[in-house]
Amino acid sequence: MCYNGGMIDEKTLTILTESAKYDVSCSSSGSGRKNEGGIGNGYASGCCHSFTPDGRCISLLKILLSNDCIYNCKYCLNRRDNDIPRATATADDICGLVMDFYKRNYIEGLFLSSAVHISPNFTMEQLYLVVKKLRTEYNFHGYIHVKGIPHADMEIVNKTALFADRMSFNIELPSEQSLKLLAPQKDRESLLIPMSKLQREKEIFKAEKKKGHFLPAGQTTQMIVGASPEKDGMILRLSEGLYRKKGLKRVYYSSYVPVVHDTLLPEVAGGALREHRLYQADWLLRFYGFDAEELLPADGDLSPDYDPKCAWALAHMDLFPVEVNRAPLEMLLRVPGIGARGAQKILNARKYTKLTFEHLKKMRIVLKRARHFITANGKFYGANETAVRGLLAAAETQANAEQLSLFSMNETALSALTGEL
Amino acid sequence: MIYFYDGTKEAFLTALALSFHDGEPFLTSGNKQLVLGQESVFVRTDVERAKKIEARLLSFDKDCMGDLDTILRSGEPNKDNIALAYFRLIAEKKRPVRMMLSEDAALAADECMRRVGFEIHRFHGFVRFLATASGALYAPVSPDNDICDLLVPHFRARMPKIPFVIHDVKRKKAAVYDGENTFLAPLGEAEVVLAADEMQWQNLWKKYYNSVNIPSRERLKQMRGYMPVRYWKFMPEKQRPDDGEEDQGAPSPPSKRRK
Ligand code: SF4
Repeated sequence: MCYNGGMIDEKTLTILTESAKYDVSCSSSGSGRKNEGGIGNGYASGCCHSFTPDGRCISLLKILLSNDCIYNCKYCLNRRDNDIPRATATADDICGLVMDFYKRNYIEGLFLSSAVHISPNFTMEQLYLVVKKLRTEYNFHGYIHVKGIPHADMEIVNKTALFADRMSFNIELPSEQSLKLLAPQKDRESLLIPMSKLQREKEIFKAEKKKGHFLPAGQTTQMIVGASPEKDGMILRLSEGLYRKKGLKRVYYSSYVPVVHDTLLPEVAGGALREHRLYQADWLLRFYGFDAEELLPADGDLSPDYDPKCAWALAHMDLFPVEVNRAPLEMLLRVPGIGARGAQKILNARKYTKLTFEHLKKMRIVLKRARHFITANGKFYGANETAVRGLLAAAETQANAEQLSLFSMNETALSALTGEL
Repeated sequence: MIYFYDGTKEAFLTALALSFHDGEPFLTSGNKQLVLGQESVFVRTDVERAKKIEARLLSFDKDCMGDLDTILRSGEPNKDNIALAYFRLIAEKKRPVRMMLSEDAALAADECMRRVGFEIHRFHGFVRFLATASGALYAPVSPDNDICDLLVPHFRARMPKIPFVIHDVKRKKAAVYDGENTFLAPLGEAEVVLAADEMQWQNLWKKYYNSVNIPSRERLKQMRGYMPVRYWKFMPEKQRPDDGEEDQGAPSPPSKRRK
């Protein structure tokens, strides 16, 4: 190998991992970075290397450079006032770990974050130095996701973006008030402005056709739900804005886990079900052509009983049933139980024959929910509307018993799960 | 009639031609118990005939030989008949049929190929290399489908300077990348001398794996769904901690794991 990194000690690794693990994003998708000598490349669809007993995918080495924080965000394990072991790794510690884990195929790359150590600029500069070293000295071309540090100078952020595949400034909490209350040293501006600036910087980079890369996998963000009182309707409108105005690739929702005690915080964990519903609705915003407005009012919550598509369909029964042999793709995608892959199968198969329910069954289109909303070759096998509600709610209870949690899933694994919404 | 063949492409094409007018052909490359009175034939490869058939099939669907390769790699016991029915359908329709999912034969072939493709994708993540003393990497694998050589391009693209071996221990063969070329070789047991620090890195990886988990959100059923237990055998992070460092290769019996 062309580097001589040492080996990080076990204790430092454990502390910096424990401190990073509540961060939910771990996806390695979206970058097609090529190998240019040295080691590594991007895998555009993302890749899971392992799964932990909590059901989450390990794609990237998720680690903090330091957990020694000067800030005091109330919900965070690493807050200044919390009495926990502290550690700070060196750039070579991190680089060596990435190289040796990567070549053994344990990981797809690095997700590097940090507590605010010493000062925002100092921390951002350290993160920059690690990724620069990894790219230029260690010759690593695999995936790198770097956390943006609020209040750091844009100049440091921008030069980091030249080496990273993805960056994320975390929104943390869904509203300015909650942020003020729970993360007093951060404010909306310090999180949203860098996002916009990076977005603009990327456009300039592209327009000038400069050599190299500038965040090929774009930006993401994450927010904690259940630590503060915001409604789902508000959260989804925020996400919609982030997708459509700031061009974000993903918004991650992390159900609140009480890791520290504070009178301002709930004592109980936010439910996995709420997080799951948010991801389902988010999916509808991004891939199924839904607007937040259609799904729920700003002051409403998603239904715990039905998935968001089902809830929408039940509120629009006048549009159903649709005939599978004629319905356009957009409409097929809105049928509960028919996902992107199912809709595509239908489009393909109906070119050759008039599809009947028998055909759909054979094609393994899940009809449990869909049959109430479609006709196949004129035939309808659903129940009447009142019965439908009962049947669908029952079907949901079963699904919930399995408590699907999608937090931090890789895009591909996610699509397998939510694909048949 | 039952057709035995050797599992190769040429023999398959010969069998396809031989059985074309058979209303109920059963094709197998494995062991099949003959029921008394059942007629059977051992297909002897006819290279000329196979070539002709191949050309004809390609004229109906220029990509169909790739499909054949994929289906014949499947670990499914019934793969030979899935392929047979699929190619009979191509011959009947005289056109590509892979989108005709309302046809049983097309659907079965589609699902079979999808499973092979899915395992390849999974293995891009689940393969675990061991660093050896020579600097080459060695990965023992035991996939459901015969895919070890198909895994090479992915790793070769990202580590072009490191030679590696992906060893299918069940099928006793290995895909080798020597730093320049890729080839497939029979390999029963491999003698591997590990790099001096290999176990330390494995140990760090296990530490990482255990630290990044959130125990209060345990969802073992989900974990096993995404990463089936049969794949754990060669993953350091899924070996029991008390196996110690000497016993890395030992599979962890699923029955001993907590539900
Ligand atoms: S800045 Fe806030 S959220 Fe980040 S590590 Fe420090 S205390 Fe935690």
